[in-house]
Amino acid sequence: MSFLENEEIPKVVIVGHVDHGKSSLIGRLMYDLDEVPSGKYEELKLVSEKRGMEFEFAFLLDALQAERDQGITIDTTQIFFKTKKRKYVFIDAPGHKEFIRNMITGASSADIAVLIIDAHEGLKEQTKKHAYLLKLLGLDNVICLFNKMDKINYDEKKFLKVEKELSQFINNIAVNIVATVPVSAKCGDNIIQKSKKLSWYNGQAFCEILDSYNLKKGNDDLPLRLPIQDIYKIDDKRVIVGRIETGEIKLNDELFFLPSNETVKLKSFEAWPKAKKKYVTGDNVGLTIEDQIFIDKGNLISHVKFPPKLMNTFEANIFWLSEKKLKIDKQYLMKINTGEYNIVISKVSKVLDTNNLSSKTLTLSPKKNDVCEVIIHSSQLIPMDDFKDNQKTGRFCILDEEKIIAGGIINLQNFPDQKDVIQTKNIKPISFSVTEIDRALRFNHRSAIIWMTGLSGSGKSTIAKEIEKKLFLKNYNVFILDGDNLRMGINRGLGFSTEDRTENIRRAAEVAKLFTQAGFIVIVSLISPYISERKKARDIKPEIFKEIFVKASIDECKKRDVKGLYSKAISGEIENFTGISSPYEDPKNPDLILNTERESIEESVNKLENFIIKEFGVIKNS
Amino acid sequence: MNSHLQKLENESIYIFRQAYRSIKNIAMLWSLGKDSNVMVWIAFKAFLGKIPFPLVHVDTGKKFKEMYDFRDKYEKEWKVKLIKGDCPPVEQIDASLPPAARSAARKTEGLKKILNRYEFKGIIAGIRRDEQGTRAKERIFSPRDESGKWDVKNQPPEFWDQSNFNYPNNVHIRIHPLLGWTEIDIWQYIKNQKIPIVDLYFSKNGKRYRSLGDKDITSPVSSEAKNLDEIINELKITKVSERSGRAMDHEQEDVFEKLRSKGYM
Repeated sequence: MSFLENEEIPKVVIVGHVDHGKSSLIGRLMYDLDEVPSGKYEELKLVSEKRGMEFEFAFLLDALQAERDQGITIDTTQIFFKTKKRKYVFIDAPGHKEFIRNMITGASSADIAVLIIDAHEGLKEQTKKHAYLLKLLGLDNVICLFNKMDKINYDEKKFLKVEKELSQFINNIAVNIVATVPVSAKCGDNIIQKSKKLSWYNGQAFCEILDSYNLKKGNDDLPLRLPIQDIYKIDDKRVIVGRIETGEIKLNDELFFLPSNETVKLKSFEAWPKAKKKYVTGDNVGLTIEDQIFIDKGNLISHVKFPPKLMNTFEANIFWLSEKKLKIDKQYLMKINTGEYNIVISKVSKVLDTNNLSSKTLTLSPKKNDVCEVIIHSSQLIPMDDFKDNQKTGRFCILDEEKIIAGGIINLQNFPDQKDVIQTKNIKPISFSVTEIDRALRFNHRSAIIWMTGLSGSGKSTIAKEIEKKLFLKNYNVFILDGDNLRMGINRGLGFSTEDRTENIRRAAEVAKLFTQAGFIVIVSLISPYISERKKARDIKPEIFKEIFVKASIDECKKRDVKGLYSKAISGEIENFTGISSPYEDPKNPDLILNTERESIEESVNKLENFIIKEFGVIKNS
Repeated sequence: MNSHLQKLENESIYIFRQAYRSIKNIAMLWSLGKDSNVMVWIAFKAFLGKIPFPLVHVDTGKKFKEMYDFRDKYEKEWKVKLIKGDCPPVEQIDASLPPAARSAARKTEGLKKILNRYEFKGIIAGIRRDEQGTRAKERIFSPRDESGKWDVKNQPPEFWDQSNFNYPNNVHIRIHPLLGWTEIDIWQYIKNQKIPIVDLYFSKNGKRYRSLGDKDITSPVSSEAKNLDEIINELKITKVSERSGRAMDHEQEDVFEKLRSKGYM
């Protein structure tokens, strides 16, 4: 059995229309290969009898009660078993059109795709949609099974008819059919061995085809692509960590960073317990570099010789998963590898009708589960590859309100590489005399707005003072903007009405922004009670804005009443007092919560200090 | 290490780093079993020798002595930050559950207490798809609401290593770095990396534990496997399921789904 130990284990996804027999096929395979745990088959048979249902092999997969009740697969399952030749992971993907996102979740990690078609029913809507999605997922070799041959009396003519229908469709989407096999999952025909009932069929049984399938070669001969996942500070070292998507990397390599367009020599590999001298595709690496350059999470490392493209406009084929329709020119977030970029979809060129593969021209407003061709634009430069050149760096997903709503693959044919544009014009992307990067490198930290919100008496000012002291002693440029102090100067004359509070916050945020341009970490300590206002403050400089919720209940704050304000508010002496006569809206998703009721001030301050250093600290490479 | 184990280790390290980068306040469950020791080991690799978040042992008070000894020894040796949490008595647990499941559900409640107290937004757990049918349907980053509820019919999409991380404040994310491993992978990795484990896994008088839980609801299986090689060889041919000795799994149809949908690991 030694062959089992060193072999890669292929992941096989089964896709197709609902009820065409995906789960049944896997259940049958498990049963015939004797891979069902002892007692499981008997247990499920008993359960089926109790419910008055005929036992189905699908029950071995459909683990959820709701799935067995409704007789459909709701979510994707991965199960493990072995044939005579090797081990496999089988991925069962739901065929119901409502669960496309689960189908994609399942199929996206597969090495081999199996498309199953009910020979009696022929090609249905999801058969076609799934086939097309396989293409978008980069699975362009497909094994096709025509199931339920028992239902058409193992008739060759009927089989040939649906087979022809399929090949016409598949040819149109440029997917390669590895084999077509007539099978019956229910009766076990042509699954692990050839069936006498299908003697007219000359090919191999499904399992034999699977076992002889050669996995696509790895990505070792593609150029290096190493997206920066994170940057760790370990002792005095600044360690860049990431996973090699393609290619390999070794000591003394010259590394090229995008979008910053800089070349730096690799200094060392860092690992526990011991580093290697060379890393290959799929490996996670930790490394340090020779020179000080400003790098960040999401940057892409390559070699100088074969860099990725740097784009701000490109074409993509996307699948849309959101209930909300696609909106032209709305701002979305794109995640590509470890990078995040703001984008807009500036044009929808085609919405594909996967049923007949014609493009719908009447409506160019894609809705849930549509597949379409779009033009994407970003104000930032994004390193990427054409999907045809490199699948790993040629695909992305789109988020709206921080939820994944679409995925897509990149086509760069008709658009210029901005790297060339920049180089030919000899213009550097940043044109200030002293850049943010220059300041960050001198000060050893980036600038930041640390926005502390919370009730009066929650501990904002106390924490602010402590953190300012601590960071100052560590040579940070740090400054507090305190609500009360601002009101004595720039905000004098503003009251506590909703409008005045809004203006108070706007001014505070603008002042904070100026300080950040000078390279400071600004600690803003302001009750700032409304979600909408804090959002406006964030929008002034979102990339460095962190919302810190200083949390203490109103009862606790009343009890503390440091400034004696609560008693005055309760007696009516002060109007519009937050928490008493004016609302406070808790942050929905703060970057950090400091619960001063549960933590000591010291604990809160330490937590905040670690947070600021992790997010904004820069350590020079010695 | 062979290429298959290397690939699994790589996937797990990536998940650890992604979790640490994307979720604010995380912790890792350390149940003291084989899988969670593999997790600790991989976390050391992911974070270059020092785990930057605490380990959590949700203690039912009914573990084997060997497990407590193991915990005390390796807490020191590995220099990990350990949070120990207790569990409410069984009388306070949903009485509609069958006895063993009810007893196991204490752990769910113990975990909830810790989540509340420390406001963790992410909990790393060592479950695997091959252990059980509903675990086979899990996401790597799997959201749970305030009551710990798993909305299995409405899971978020997850593809190309992209997941949703931003949820309302009352939601925490379960992180599953070992989801793609199988039982035999775990043992081969333990052997290859020489990871310490509790010796209850090795056969004594013809019996060994394949999965460790509470003393009163976990029983050993018949086995002569006295060392790692023998365990690995046994797993190549056995048809007995890994969790066959966990009483809570077998009391009624779908009881494990019920437990999990209420927040069990």
